[in-house]
Amino acid sequence: MSYFFQIVVSGVVVGSIYALAALGLVLVYKSSRVANFAHGQIIASGAFITYALTVWASIPIYISFFISMLITFLLAWSVERIFLRRLIGEPIISVIMVTIGLASILDGLIYLTPFGTKNFSFPLFLPAEPISIYGVSISWTQLVGVIITVVLIGGFSWFFKKSTVGISMRAVSDDQFASMSVGISVPSVFGLAWATAGLSAAAAGGIIGNITGLNFDTLHAFGVVVFPVVILGGLDSILGAVVAGIIMGLIQQFAGGYLDGNFGLNGTGEVLPYIILLIILLIKPHGLFGIHEIERV
Amino acid sequence: MAANRWLATGNFFITYKEEQRTFLTSLDRLIFSIFLSALFIWPIFFSLSRPYMLVINNILIAVIAVLGLNLVTGFAGLISIGHAAFVGVGAYTVASFSRVLGDSHFLITHMWPLLILAGGTAGAITGAIVGLPSLRLKHLYLAIATLSFQMIFEWVIKFMTFFNQGQTISVGRVTWFTGDIGRNDHYTFWYYVALVLIVLLGFGIRNLFKTRYGRALVAVRDNDRAADAMGMHPGFTKVYAFALSGFFAGVAGAVHAFLYKGAGIESFTLHHSITYLAMAIVGGLGTINGSFWGPAAIEILNLQVEKFSEYAANYLPSAMNLATALRPFTFGLVIVLFLMFEPRGIANWWRIVKSYTKTWPFRY
Repeated sequence: MSYFFQIVVSGVVVGSIYALAALGLVLVYKSSRVANFAHGQIIASGAFITYALTVWASIPIYISFFISMLITFLLAWSVERIFLRRLIGEPIISVIMVTIGLASILDGLIYLTPFGTKNFSFPLFLPAEPISIYGVSISWTQLVGVIITVVLIGGFSWFFKKSTVGISMRAVSDDQFASMSVGISVPSVFGLAWATAGLSAAAAGGIIGNITGLNFDTLHAFGVVVFPVVILGGLDSILGAVVAGIIMGLIQQFAGGYLDGNFGLNGTGEVLPYIILLIILLIKPHGLFGIHEIERV
Repeated sequence: MAANRWLATGNFFITYKEEQRTFLTSLDRLIFSIFLSALFIWPIFFSLSRPYMLVINNILIAVIAVLGLNLVTGFAGLISIGHAAFVGVGAYTVASFSRVLGDSHFLITHMWPLLILAGGTAGAITGAIVGLPSLRLKHLYLAIATLSFQMIFEWVIKFMTFFNQGQTISVGRVTWFTGDIGRNDHYTFWYYVALVLIVLLGFGIRNLFKTRYGRALVAVRDNDRAADAMGMHPGFTKVYAFALSGFFAGVAGAVHAFLYKGAGIESFTLHHSITYLAMAIVGGLGTINGSFWGPAAIEILNLQVEKFSEYAANYLPSAMNLATALRPFTFGLVIVLFLMFEPRGIANWWRIVKSYTKTWPFRY
């Protein structure tokens, strides 16, 4: 039984990371209807900046975490300003391909640094001894990561529900013309959406980097694996991202724990999200919490 | 037309038949025949070194694949981020025959044209299956559906023992009427095969757009409700488009497997899907000649980047691998720049040059 609960715990940990990673994608999609294929690279650069500040510039990790969030905030904002702003109103394939091209450019830039090819791991700043209750163990890093994730997601929800900027972002996602007519600057909202997405990406990167270590391949793979999560949750719902993230994490861990090695299957955790994704797309394309606006062919 | 063609200010068609000809003027036909025969003849007079010949073969295979991708993304407007998986299906069809029968079975050495056809058919069938979500989905959602097909394909190849878990499955050399194709002739031989396939498929796709179905494709891309009202079935049109593009990709994959004498997962990853999309965009989406420009441009760019980083490596610390960094960087930069400044691709430059020479010395 403790095996079962252990899987549940690790599923929730992985799931909350997915939720945080998916959050950035949802933020961008919600306001500007752009699916950001470069999100994994932004997560990776957030993690690397945190590492570089902590280890090379020897800034305490609590501060460097925030500085890297600020840097990716500016990075994502300028990405939107330079590349995406020109493409407002272009066909969707152009927008998708620009984000893919950006992913490639960021790949190239990261390969120029030592992070592209070597593995690093954060210095331990929390007790290494895991907490264990009735045989179920969770490490301090994971626990703190989950707590930070919960706090951040709560913060973002508050931001969207209550703050003026958040409300204007929701207005833009609802109807661009109507929000223009009440005096909201739509382009600057797009920029801000990207910037907040970058901020959440840095947070996700920092947490993932602390839990799994810094490896470029695993980090930027998050940019692809969040797609099943956001589709399951509904592309424009923050709550959906959280719920779907945790569901996806649980599914992956259960598949890894119970299916692998039996029935001649291996690595099922990698493929199940995509199979689920296809099924959801066929049955309920707007996901669990997304708004129903998919056009039927 | 009684008037002198040379003095006409444009092509003015009087009958529909005239408009449907493959070559609009005899000059067009002449230029095309000269160009095509040059492509067929040059390997007899020059012999390129094997690496360059391989690059040329890669371009030709990519041209076949991108023709298919252009059909589905350019003409039908359905974004496919899983094209490399279709190419992989073609390659792994050949590879599975080789794995079951042994890599120099009669079927592989002598009946390889059939195997190429089988690769195409397998690609078409998977294309139709993957295209099924397009009955309900559009745009981004469809793109993500094809992306998930790519990931599922990679998983199947990587974790099935039958497919050697992604390691290369070897495919034997083939035989032609002149005897076995040895190491020296291998690349030249497959150059000719790919060229013949491109000519066949290229004319096929060109003629397709003069048929009811081809026009239905473009109609569905432009406005599917209007197309529906005109009596087209948008759903089936899209599924057929996926099947056709899968056929092209499957053929490309089968040739790839024969050319490389094997199939391994490293040639059919998500990165390759993106590369095919980039080739289609750089060439020009929705144009046939763009499918030729794009692969050539991207492959030659890769070659130059490789050369440059080799050259620059002399001046840099040896620990730094410049090629791994520069390849994705330039690739991404080219995509972004094209989308921002020339979304219609190289085919548009070609069009500009053509219209300039047509009206020279006057400017419109």
